[in-house]
Amino acid sequence: MSEQNHKLQETVTGRGEDVLVVRNLVKRYGSFTAVNGISFTVGSREIFGILGPNGAGKTTTLEAIETLRPIDDGEVLLCGIDVRRDPRAVKRVIGVQLQSSSFFDKLSLVELLTLFGDLYGRTVDPLALLDEVELRDKASSYVNALSGGQKQRFSIAAALVNDPAVLFLDEPTTGLDPQARRHLWGVVRRIRSEGKTVVLTTHSMDEAEELCDRVAIMDAGTIVALAPPQELVRQLLAGGFTKERVHHQANLEDVFLSLTGHSLREE
Amino acid sequence: MKLILKLALASMKMFLRQREAIIWTILLPLFIIVLFGFIRFDGLGRMHLGIVNEAGERGGAIIAALRNVKAVELFEGAKDQELRELEKGERDVVLVIPEGFDPAGKTSVVLVADPEGKPRETQLAGLVLQRVVDEMVFARSPETARIMVQTEAVKIRNLTYIDFLIPGVLSMGIMQMGIFGVAFSFVSLKKRGILRRLSVTPIRPRDFIIAQVLMRLVALIIQMVVMVGVGVLFFHLHFTGNPLTMFVTGVLGATVFLGIGFTLAGISKSEDQVAPLANLITLPMMLLSGVFFSRSNLPGIVRHITEIFPLTFLADGLRSVAIDGATLVQILPQLGGLIVWSVATVLLASKLFRWE
Repeated sequence: MSEQNHKLQETVTGRGEDVLVVRNLVKRYGSFTAVNGISFTVGSREIFGILGPNGAGKTTTLEAIETLRPIDDGEVLLCGIDVRRDPRAVKRVIGVQLQSSSFFDKLSLVELLTLFGDLYGRTVDPLALLDEVELRDKASSYVNALSGGQKQRFSIAAALVNDPAVLFLDEPTTGLDPQARRHLWGVVRRIRSEGKTVVLTTHSMDEAEELCDRVAIMDAGTIVALAPPQELVRQLLAGGFTKERVHHQANLEDVFLSLTGHSLREE
Repeated sequence: MKLILKLALASMKMFLRQREAIIWTILLPLFIIVLFGFIRFDGLGRMHLGIVNEAGERGGAIIAALRNVKAVELFEGAKDQELRELEKGERDVVLVIPEGFDPAGKTSVVLVADPEGKPRETQLAGLVLQRVVDEMVFARSPETARIMVQTEAVKIRNLTYIDFLIPGVLSMGIMQMGIFGVAFSFVSLKKRGILRRLSVTPIRPRDFIIAQVLMRLVALIIQMVVMVGVGVLFFHLHFTGNPLTMFVTGVLGATVFLGIGFTLAGISKSEDQVAPLANLITLPMMLLSGVFFSRSNLPGIVRHITEIFPLTFLADGLRSVAIDGATLVQILPQLGGLIVWSVATVLLASKLFRWE
C-alpha cells in the first residue's frame, strides 16, 4: 500500500530529485506551433518515455531540451542549468543520441570515442565504453561496417563519453529486429542502474511498457497523458474499455523469439 | 587550441584514409604531370619532310646532309605515296630528287610544297635545302672566300614545358582541394547529421572550422612537396624557389578557394547541388588561367578577363617563385590579387555558411 502511494507521488514529480524540469515549453516553426506549452519533470535515475504519433512534437521537444532548437517560450532546466541562458553548460551534462545521425567515416570506434572525449576535454577509456554497449570486438571497425543495432549501441556509447547526468535517445530501436531491440533495452537498463537518467522517444508501445518508469503521451504539441504505463492502462480499463479480441498469454513477438531465439543476429 | 590540433589530426587521418581525397588532390595532378612530362612537345615542332629519291646513290649525299638537320624529320618513299601523304597533311613538304640528278653537275632538285597553306614550312624547307646543296657546291671549290657563321656555346637555363606545367598543376590542385574538398566533405557532414551531432557537444563551430582549415594547409604542404619533388627527381624541374615563399603564396591561394568551398557548402543541400556549381567555377579557370598553356595565346578580351581570376594570380605567383626564384616583394601584384579575393570569398563564406 505504501508502494502504491509512492507510485502516485512519482506520477506527478518523478522519482527523487528532478534532473530535468520543463515548464510551458513552446516551439514554433513560422505560424505552426510544434510544441504548445508542455510541462513535465524527470527524476534522477528514471527512464522517461515520450510517446506520440508522427508530428506530435516528440523530436522537437527533445531537440529543444538538447539545445539544438531555440526555445520560443517557457523554461527548461537541466540539473538546475537554464537551457536558454547557458546552452554550453547544458551540453556538458547531457548525452545525446540523435535520430538518423551518423559519425565520421574512416575513424575506428576507438578513435571516434577518443575524439568525442576530446570535444569535452576528457580523456576517456574507449574500450570500457565499448564494453558498456558490448561492442569491444568491433573496436577497430569503422561505423559503416556496423549493423543497425550495433550503430545504435555505438551512438549510445558516444553519448556516454562525458559521463552525462541525462541521456537522450531519439527512437533508439526504430528499424531494429526483435533480438537487437531487446538487447538495447538491456543496455539502457544497465545505464540507468549505473545512476543515469534516460529520456527516450519511441513509437513502440511494448517498448514503453517494458522499459519506461513513466511515459508522456503527446499529440499535436501537447501532453495528453503523463503516468507510469500500467497506471495509464488501469485508468483506461477503469473507464469501461474492453477489447473485442480475447487476450492471449503470448503475442506474435513471443512466437517469433521462441522460434528464432534471443541471441543477436548481427553480421 | 589543443582541441583544435586534436581535431585537425583526426581530420588528417580521415583525409589520408579516404581514397577519393588522395586521388583528387595528389594522384590526379601527379598523373597530369607524368602524362604531359612524357609527351615530347619539342618533337612535335619538327618539320615533316618527305623525300622521293629517284636518283639512287647520287641522291645519297643530300639525304645524309639532311639527316644532320635537327629541325626536320625525314620520311623516304615512292613519289605517289609521298605526294599522297603531303595531301593528307602528314608531310609538310616533299623533296623530289629526280632521276637525272647529278651532284657534280649543273642540276636541280624539286621541292613540292604549298606556299600559301604552309608559308613557314615552305620557306624553312627552301632555306635548308638551298644550304645543303650550296654546301655540296662549295665542297667542289674549297678556295672560294666565304662568310662563316660561328657558334659560340654558352649555358642558358633551358626552361621546358614541365617548368611551366608543374607550378600550374600545383595551383590547380590547391584549387581542387579548397573547392571540391571542402564543399563535398562539409555538405556530406551536414547531410549525414554529423554536424548536428557535433553541435550537441560543447565544441565551438569556429574551432571545428579552424581545425578543418588547418588540416588542409598540411595537405597543401604534402601536395607541394610531392609535386615539386617528382618534378625535380624525374622531370628536371628547374626549381629555384624558396619553400617558405612557396608556402605563403600557396596559403593565400588556398584561402581564396577554401572561402569558395565553404560558400558552396553553405548554399548547397546535397552533393548533387555542389557538383555543377563547383565545376562551373573551376573549369573556366582550369582552362584559361594559364595552368596548362600560356595565357598569351588567348584573344585580347578573354586574356584581360582571365587576368583577374584567382587561379591566374596563384599560378603566376607560384610559377615566378618556383622557377624564377622570385621573392614575395617581386610577386606583390599576384599576392595583392589573392588578398583581395580571399577577403571577398571569406566574407561571403561567413555570410552563407550554415552549420545545418
